Amino acid sequence: MTDNLFLFASIAGTPVAIRASEIEAVVRLGDIVPIQRVPAHVRGLAALRSRVLTVIDIESRIFGRAMSIDRRPLAVVSDVAAHTYGLLVETVSDICEASSGVQPIQGRIDRYWAPFATGLVEREGRSHLLLSVADFVNTPSTAAKAA
Amino acid sequence: MDEILAEFIAETLETLEVLSGEVVAWEADPTDGSRLDAFFRFFHTVKGSCGFLNLPRFERLAHAAEDVLAAVRRGERKADPATVTAVLAVMDRIGALARGIGDGEDAAVPEAADDALLDALVEGASCPVDTEATVAAQVDEMVVELETNADLNPSARVGRERAPRTIRLPLALIDQLMNGISDMVLARNDLARKMRDREADPELESSFERLSANVADLRDMISKTRMQRVDRLYAAIPRMVRDLSRDLNKKVSLELDGGDVEMDREMIEMVVDPLTHIVRNSLDHGIEEPADRKTAGKGEAGLLRIVARQSGNQIVIEIADDGRGINRVALVEKAIKVGLVTPAEAVALTDDDKLQLIFHPGLSTAAEVTAVSGRGVGMDVVRANIEQIGGVIGIESIVGRGTTITMRVPLTLTIIPGLIVQSGGHYFAMPRGNVIELLHQNSSMVAIEEIGGARIATIRGEAYSLVDIEDVLGLTRTAIKGPRTLMVIRSSVGQPYVLGVEQVESNEELVIRPASPLVTSAGVFAGMTLPDNGQPMLLLDAAGIAQSAKLPLRDAQRGIVAGGRTPAVAREETMQALLFAERDGARRLIPLAIVDRVEDVEPDQVATSNGRAFVRIEGKLFPALNAAAGVAEPIKSLRLHAGHEVLCYLIGDVLDIIDVPPRLDVSLNEGRVAGLVMVGTQQIEMLDPFALFAEAARGSGGDASAVRPVHCLIADANDAWLSGILAPLLRQAGHEVTIGAGGDVSPDIILCSGAGDMAAESDVPVLTLSDDAGATGADAIYRYDRDRIMARIAELAARRAA
Repeated sequence: MTDNLFLFASIAGTPVAIRASEIEAVVRLGDIVPIQRVPAHVRGLAALRSRVLTVIDIESRIFGRAMSIDRRPLAVVSDVAAHTYGLLVETVSDICEASSGVQPIQGRIDRYWAPFATGLVEREGRSHLLLSVADFVNTPSTAAKAA
Repeated sequence: MDEILAEFIAETLETLEVLSGEVVAWEADPTDGSRLDAFFRFFHTVKGSCGFLNLPRFERLAHAAEDVLAAVRRGERKADPATVTAVLAVMDRIGALARGIGDGEDAAVPEAADDALLDALVEGASCPVDTEATVAAQVDEMVVELETNADLNPSARVGRERAPRTIRLPLALIDQLMNGISDMVLARNDLARKMRDREADPELESSFERLSANVADLRDMISKTRMQRVDRLYAAIPRMVRDLSRDLNKKVSLELDGGDVEMDREMIEMVVDPLTHIVRNSLDHGIEEPADRKTAGKGEAGLLRIVARQSGNQIVIEIADDGRGINRVALVEKAIKVGLVTPAEAVALTDDDKLQLIFHPGLSTAAEVTAVSGRGVGMDVVRANIEQIGGVIGIESIVGRGTTITMRVPLTLTIIPGLIVQSGGHYFAMPRGNVIELLHQNSSMVAIEEIGGARIATIRGEAYSLVDIEDVLGLTRTAIKGPRTLMVIRSSVGQPYVLGVEQVESNEELVIRPASPLVTSAGVFAGMTLPDNGQPMLLLDAAGIAQSAKLPLRDAQRGIVAGGRTPAVAREETMQALLFAERDGARRLIPLAIVDRVEDVEPDQVATSNGRAFVRIEGKLFPALNAAAGVAEPIKSLRLHAGHEVLCYLIGDVLDIIDVPPRLDVSLNEGRVAGLVMVGTQQIEMLDPFALFAEAARGSGGDASAVRPVHCLIADANDAWLSGILAPLLRQAGHEVTIGAGGDVSPDIILCSGAGDMAAESDVPVLTLSDDAGATGADAIYRYDRDRIMARIAELAARRAA
């Protein structure tokens, strides 16, 4: 039942869930070295021991405004296609099983979340938007094609 | 070679081990044909590998067994127990021999003993019924020998320990090890920083020094685990050359050199495909058939020579053949045909430019596509692959004498020496292989000037494009005390350029990792690295920077004066002119700037009407000069343009593009000729473009516009084809179109679709566009014959205007 294991976090005040199978770890990052000439949501590079993460600002990707981060921001570490990424999140509450699994989205979610939310996951009576890491690490052009 | 041999033996023994289970099953039931294939493959592989490993004994055994199995497969022979036993005996012998070689004892089994096995195989074939006894006897002998072999085993085991012992490891494990070592280095550096903050403790420091040295050694050793001998790259080539030359009926002798050079195993894998491709090309297109070679005065067998050597931090692999060389003429013709260059540009190509054409997609010089190579995907892919791993590919070819292709690739993909560059508060790495030279901006050897927005750095008389890293990356410039540093950069795509940076920090061995697609999509980064200070850093992509700064590239440079490094100032003192032959053969010049393109014109594209000539190109008519003599065969035309006026100047041939002084040596101003220009020791007439356009305009009855728009009236607005399909076409061709018979329009021509629709009440010509494909005649044309429709409209209009 690992398929029903989710990481519950929040981004811009919105509760979100990410499949645990997509995630390797949750860490606090050190310094982020900015990168030039890349989309705004690519915050930079950060070292995680001997690995180098490409740091993605999910909030910026969704809302187009950079997330304000403190000195050691929380990031979800994930490997996609042999590259390691760190996705910035506000808070992380838990990693646990959601017995009800993924539910279809009820109600109309706004245009910011719509391209990314693929379903709802319930935990302790609260709904969380289900996001997939892969949607944030594609280059915007390929993401647009997929949409 | 030893390594390949060892690999062959390891593989053979491994396969034997796998097959041993099958052997038992086959012995139990010889009629089961499903196992036959596995054995057949085994013998076939052994036979193939032995060919180039020079193991005739293996080959003889494998070949005989393969023959027998083939006969069984074809149903010519039954897989009776005798045959099976004989085949299995051969298999065992191969295993014994392989072990023998592995232990360094070739003579473990005397060669004469093989004959008995072979006889058993053949006898099984000749008298399939009554052989059991003989075979059994032979097999007994065999068993005895195997036993002797087994007796030898203790000593063999000793021998095995003498040979280098190897194990196979997954690459991922080595990568993990490498990462582990990197972690260790970071931890060491961290510790070193912390120790500096404390009071000095000599004892602790000496322990730390020892640890440091160990970590450094370990890192070197781990790096070496990734290295492999180039022999591995060569392994498949002899076989391929042998097979290919047989298929192609060519004789080729192969020379491989430098197999002991070591390079990164991943790099070897990246080079295999390009190398294979080049070798195939050489055999297929380069080396001639024996008869052709004889007539050319060469030995019957072509020579293919592959040499690998290390040069600095690069591995150079040269593939040279002594074949017919690359046919430049065919290459250029093909390039013109696919529209890569115009004929005029082609004339200006240097020999090297022409050779470089081979790296363009879709250019393959072979007259016909063969199974071996020449499918049109080829050298362009080879170049792309090599450049992808940071390499450079070069080509030299002498017609009739042979071709040499040189691949230069970095020693390793993962560790490169790099320069750490600081600019605008950021650090970047630049591969040292890309850096030719470092200079301070205030050096006396450097002169920097700005011309029309372009920045040029002249270093010891050579002019380079200058670009600052801050401008490329959009960084803010920080004020620094000392002078900025200039790096002379060479990239794989263009001419060298100068990159200005704040300062070059240090020189480090960098462990490079691939950057994520989000980062590489910026186009200026080749990868990332984590230097010893633990701060991630991006590796600059020399070619990407040149491209993003829109510096002149090799391709864009084509057709410009040879030697693109001529200072811009000098270039302005001349102008380019096209040297061509008139239709009567006289040589004349025309300023290149007004020549739009050179085209091939078919006779039926040229129409003459009332003394005025037109050339029809892509559904448009252009006034033509020099058409008075008529056009009987395909001819070349210079399309000249001045603003929106266009005319076609028919000529004999394009000869060259040359530089001429912008001022004429002698002004004539007579007719089309503006004056004379001295070219070398000859004076050549320079055409006066102004006069040409004036002449074309006079020809059209003083009409200001060279191509006079024709006013077409489509009378029946309800005709969907006329108004929906033809009208846009006409407008596109520059004509005016009115749909529906309005009040006061005065059309030049009336178009209708059915005969008699339109009463010919006025003197306006009427063109009937019939949907009858056979429609002929002056005023009725098949509606889908676009060229004839366009020509007719223009012709009618011209007649009317005259």
